Amino acid sequence: MATDSRVLRLLRRLAALLIRGPEAVFIRADLDDATERDLERGIPMWRAQWRYAVNVLGSALSARPARWRASRLGVSWLDVRIGLRLLVKQPGLTAVAVFALAVGIPVGLIPLHAASAFEAPPPFAEAEQLQVLKNINVATSRWEAPSAYDFVQWREELTAFSALAMTTRGASYNVIAEDGRAAPIRGAEVTASTFDIVRVRPLLGRTLIAADELAGAPRVVVISHDLWQSRLGADPEVLGRSIRIGGVPRTVVGVMPQGFLFPIRDHLWIPLRVTAATDDHERGRPRIVFGRLSDSVSPEEAQAELMAVGQRMAIASPETHGRLRNEVVPFTIGLFGAGKEGLRGEAGFYGFQVLALLVLAIACANVGMLILARTATRSGEIAVRTALGASRTRVVTQMFTESLVFAVLAAGVGLLIADQISSTLFGWLLDALPYWTNFRVTLATVGWALVLAVLSAGLVSVIPALKVTGKAVQLNIQRAASGRSGVRFGGISSALIIADVTIAVAALGVAVGLSDGLTDIQDSRGIQAEQFLFAELRLPQFESGSDAAAFDEGAFELRLREAQQSLLQRLAAEPGVQGVAVGSSLPGMDHPRSGVEVDGIEHSEDFGDIRVSRARVDADFFDAFGQPVLSGRGFDSTELAEDSPAVIVNTGFVDRILSGQNPIGRRVRYATAADEEPGPWYEIVGVVGPLGMDLVDPGRAGMYHPSAPGKLHPLRLAIHVGDDPESFAPRLRALTGEVDATAIVWDPKALDKIVSFDAKIVGWVTTGAMALVGMLLALSGSGTYALMSFTVAQRRREIGIRTALGAQRSNIVRTIAKRALVQLGVGVLLGMAIAGRVLFEFHRAGRIPSQSPLLLAIAMGVGVMLLIGTLACVVPTLRALKIMPTEALRSGA
Amino acid sequence: MGYLGEFEQLILFAVVELGDDAYGGTIREAIERRTGRVVSSGAIYTALGRLAERDLVTSRIGEPTAGRAGRPRKYYSLEAEGARALSATYSTIQSMAGGLMARVTELAEGG
Repeated sequence: MATDSRVLRLLRRLAALLIRGPEAVFIRADLDDATERDLERGIPMWRAQWRYAVNVLGSALSARPARWRASRLGVSWLDVRIGLRLLVKQPGLTAVAVFALAVGIPVGLIPLHAASAFEAPPPFAEAEQLQVLKNINVATSRWEAPSAYDFVQWREELTAFSALAMTTRGASYNVIAEDGRAAPIRGAEVTASTFDIVRVRPLLGRTLIAADELAGAPRVVVISHDLWQSRLGADPEVLGRSIRIGGVPRTVVGVMPQGFLFPIRDHLWIPLRVTAATDDHERGRPRIVFGRLSDSVSPEEAQAELMAVGQRMAIASPETHGRLRNEVVPFTIGLFGAGKEGLRGEAGFYGFQVLALLVLAIACANVGMLILARTATRSGEIAVRTALGASRTRVVTQMFTESLVFAVLAAGVGLLIADQISSTLFGWLLDALPYWTNFRVTLATVGWALVLAVLSAGLVSVIPALKVTGKAVQLNIQRAASGRSGVRFGGISSALIIADVTIAVAALGVAVGLSDGLTDIQDSRGIQAEQFLFAELRLPQFESGSDAAAFDEGAFELRLREAQQSLLQRLAAEPGVQGVAVGSSLPGMDHPRSGVEVDGIEHSEDFGDIRVSRARVDADFFDAFGQPVLSGRGFDSTELAEDSPAVIVNTGFVDRILSGQNPIGRRVRYATAADEEPGPWYEIVGVVGPLGMDLVDPGRAGMYHPSAPGKLHPLRLAIHVGDDPESFAPRLRALTGEVDATAIVWDPKALDKIVSFDAKIVGWVTTGAMALVGMLLALSGSGTYALMSFTVAQRRREIGIRTALGAQRSNIVRTIAKRALVQLGVGVLLGMAIAGRVLFEFHRAGRIPSQSPLLLAIAMGVGVMLLIGTLACVVPTLRALKIMPTEALRSGA
Repeated sequence: MGYLGEFEQLILFAVVELGDDAYGGTIREAIERRTGRVVSSGAIYTALGRLAERDLVTSRIGEPTAGRAGRPRKYYSLEAEGARALSATYSTIQSMAGGLMARVTELAEGG
């Protein structure tokens, strides 16, 4: 048929699924007719499809249903309609159940969705052919960046790949356009073959070619569409223009199409010159070797060939390649350093998946309780239907379908919310991820959500349905006639209420404990970080892309020293500036760590078993942060040389490495491998308190070296200016401009906004965990309330009889409350025990500084659940007491 | 005979207009063309089913057609009883509206 398209085929399937009944075949044929005529009339395809979809939905809701029988799938349209009516008829139950599943289903999906997003292939033709070639150190199981030598060997010997390329990653270049403005731009050095492999054509000019890689070739650059627009004014004559990159003038030879930012989020590509001879000093720079598989070669065949080549290389150079194993990994997975299986292959993934599904299971348990309660009220109706000949399967199917209706609704709501918040949730990560990574909801995620919805509907409906259909029909009809529910679910409801209260109390306890741990992370810098302005200063001609020949290290150091000293003098003269600290890393940032040996302390065979954070700082560093040297002395200006033997350690070093012994005068040096020459000894001259070297573990051992002006680049400054430090940023830029017009002040912001990657991860996990426990609490609270109030409401008849017999109101309330309080009490005790245990573990791991939040957390958990429980119990009881006894008895309520 | 709802009237008028070519798809188009109302095929068949149960219309299955993947059409035609019902309902509305439309228009325009 001419009117065929993928969307239409999908819609036809939807029509076949939704439109039931005796006229379905004619309706569906008419739908096709109408679309064909729409297209003949010149209506655009998308509009014809839209009209088709509207007609399908309208027909599904209005077509005459099939007669009272289960369809082939066991689900009839009538059941769906009953389910839809129940949604509207019982808005309270609908709201609670949809909320629970709208939380549970997306949470259950997070691990799979995140893995798919992280591992999405790049947007290139036949992207599955793109593979990364990796070196893995067998001893450490870590990924080692391939060297130029590896690349050259692989390129010469491998036949499984039609082409191989090498690219750097994570580099920033100081780009100065013709207008003289300097700005840091992310870019990559790539071999020309990169563009052949990705098969993306330039928008203007050409991509890099092999001739660009030759020694002495003109210096060229290919730029991104964004860079062309933002820095070069979208000049149509841009080809041939010159821009300075890392101090080196380069001619623009091509502009890539919009959106192309390969390999991560890069805006310029300069030729990577690779020869096997450039091997050793290059090793360690982050680089990727990747290639496109030849046609009809599978990744496994490529893997086998790479292994064979790797073995030959190991025999030829055992000292460098003997410890390496090689792997061929799909491109995006290869970028992350994960194993061949990607995130799904990581040990933690399944744990995460189990936790996420646990949340869904708890949501299901709560919704199941509500369904059970609802089913109890319908036991009479179900008994009558059973008596009239409906089979047990039929009734169970109907109840499943009813639950499916709100499970699908909840999944839809949940996905909509997830789609909106996932970008925010993962947004902070995006900068480090390739440009095609997208956390929006995909068709696959929708598919998984539907699977979970069906499973959830099964879980929440089957037990109530079996229970309600399991009773003798006669008994249920009798009970229905007398107005009573035929179902008693004391045991199950008690167990579920107790489980709910336990979870809620435990969740609240852990949440409060964790939030205290989070506050602790912010406080663990040991300074008033919100009063400092952080800025990073960079001078051009010190970028990783510049040619070594064009770079004079001595001259640069001199220039840097002058700039640093001059800027510090100007800052000191500024009113309001109370101090300036200069360091390689500042409190709260990531600090590099190294293994150390301490003179007089036994070390295990494994070198580097004692690891310390380290930083290089100027003489005023500790004063500027208001951190006195606790014992010993600070650095004096005479020992600010690179090779000074003086170091200052923190209290974490004294406590953890020296077990509290006096450190002054002790010697320490960096650990080296057994066959390497040991480094120089340093002498500890002073001790300072913890200064945010590790926000997650404030007690971590740390060591400070002195640093002279001109030795640190980029230069990281913390300027103590008091409240609202960011208002000082324009002045800092102005002062920097006076000192060196080409210097860049990179992203100045209040120091408390600088958070190390580890702490970000911990913060993110903590926030996620808090959100999760918040959801659990809401689920448990609403579930407990709903079920308790329902069970109490079921006893209205009993309350009526007691009142009629002259029982006192207080006695009735006490009797009703007794059972509820026992359930609450058991739940609270169990919850306290779990929360206590979890928080105790945190406390023992040093994450929570004191026991007090533990008690507070548990007290809060108990308080909240008692409140919910009391309300759930008292409100319906009081309502029942207001009814006249005769009325309660007559209505049989 | 019974009263006809508004939607049923629309359908019967369409059946009259279409004559031998009255089936779900053309009826739907006729209603859309004349009134601007977009109705679903399912609603049309449901209403036609009700009308057929009241013997106001009859249906016959047409020959399978190539354009519909061999699926046949279900053609409807108006019975004398249906024509009487349509006429009576329309007359009722007309009698009731007689002389009142000017006032209705006035009220609709806020007068």
